[in-house]
Amino acid sequence: MSAAITRAEVEAVYPRVANAVAQALARDPAEVSLNSRLFADLEAESIDLLDIVFRLEREFKIQIPRGRIIEDARGDLSEAEFENNGVLTAAGLARLRDYLSEVPADNFRPRMNIADVPTLFTVETMCKMVVRAMRAAGA
Amino acid sequence: MLGDSGLAGKTVIVTGGSRGIGRAIVELFAAEGAAVTFLYRAGRGAAADVVQQAAARGHLVVAEQADVRDPAACAAVVERCVARHGSVDVLVNNSAVIRDNLLPWLEPRELSEVLETNVTGVFNITRAVVPHMITRRAGKIINISSVAGAMAGRGQTNYAASKGAINAFTRALAVELAPRKITVNAVAPGLVETSMSEQIRDRAGDRALSRILLRRYGQPAEVAYAVVFLASRFADYITGQIVYVDGGFKME
Repeated sequence: MSAAITRAEVEAVYPRVANAVAQALARDPAEVSLNSRLFADLEAESIDLLDIVFRLEREFKIQIPRGRIIEDARGDLSEAEFENNGVLTAAGLARLRDYLSEVPADNFRPRMNIADVPTLFTVETMCKMVVRAMRAAGA
Repeated sequence: MLGDSGLAGKTVIVTGGSRGIGRAIVELFAAEGAAVTFLYRAGRGAAADVVQQAAARGHLVVAEQADVRDPAACAAVVERCVARHGSVDVLVNNSAVIRDNLLPWLEPRELSEVLETNVTGVFNITRAVVPHMITRRAGKIINISSVAGAMAGRGQTNYAASKGAINAFTRALAVELAPRKITVNAVAPGLVETSMSEQIRDRAGDRALSRILLRRYGQPAEVAYAVVFLASRFADYITGQIVYVDGGFKME
């Protein structure tokens, strides 16, 4: 496991991430904050998440592999321990809650579908995604 | 047409642009003032000829040798095009192959070549282009289907299946990209006078002509007109459609 992401690392990338999110969602940057939830607060759709990722990849010259969050959150759990037919197990949900520590705990619902996980993402989730990708690229 | 098509200065990618219908599409977009990049797999001479003739008319046309079956090659062509022109405004998925044979005799290679070029190839290049259109909230995708997708002849199970897939792909992608104002349509040509359809025209002869309401084969440019229309500003409100350019095939 790599070292925990620090507040300073998140804050360093935040302005450019917030800008990318605002542009992708055609919103005023003032409407975006670190803890805005992309879907619930900023009314993103799934295609907007793709747009945000494309913009971040270009802005930071990084690669954000699809499905990386789920893979990282699963860690050393086997797929069967993590999910059952696309539904998160109790252990899987606990792992995800740890991994997405920036998401308020009451947003996680038991028997959540893996496909719905992106609806939890906040702007900080995207910042952490960028930091991890930059670390992976050795930047 | 009704004046300015809005295509001048737009960036267009056409697959299979060195011959037949693809070449006609390349030439018509170039004549409208678009910057056209076309892909070709083989036939360097034919591709060079398209570029040379365009240059002689003062048109901007670039040829890229790439096999649409290779996703990495598709991504590289798209990135070079974006580096050159800053965006991709229009994608025309035209490249396709025919390997007709009756089903029991159909070689595995004849099935895989058709499906990999006509279907997987369309996925490959479209996946490389779409991110650029999504971030710009604009774009037009036109897939070249065929009447065979709805009404095929004998020995065309593989080709018909590939074009039926393109029709379904067109509708599904139109749904997916509509929130970003990207339109996705298909043009389904009937029998058009190209080298690709020569065997079919020779084999079917008068029988084929008798099934065409207008009693003649189409010209490549007549297909290109429909494609350029769907890419133009005149078609901003059209998406998820399959436009038949077939002279009224089998309507009698």
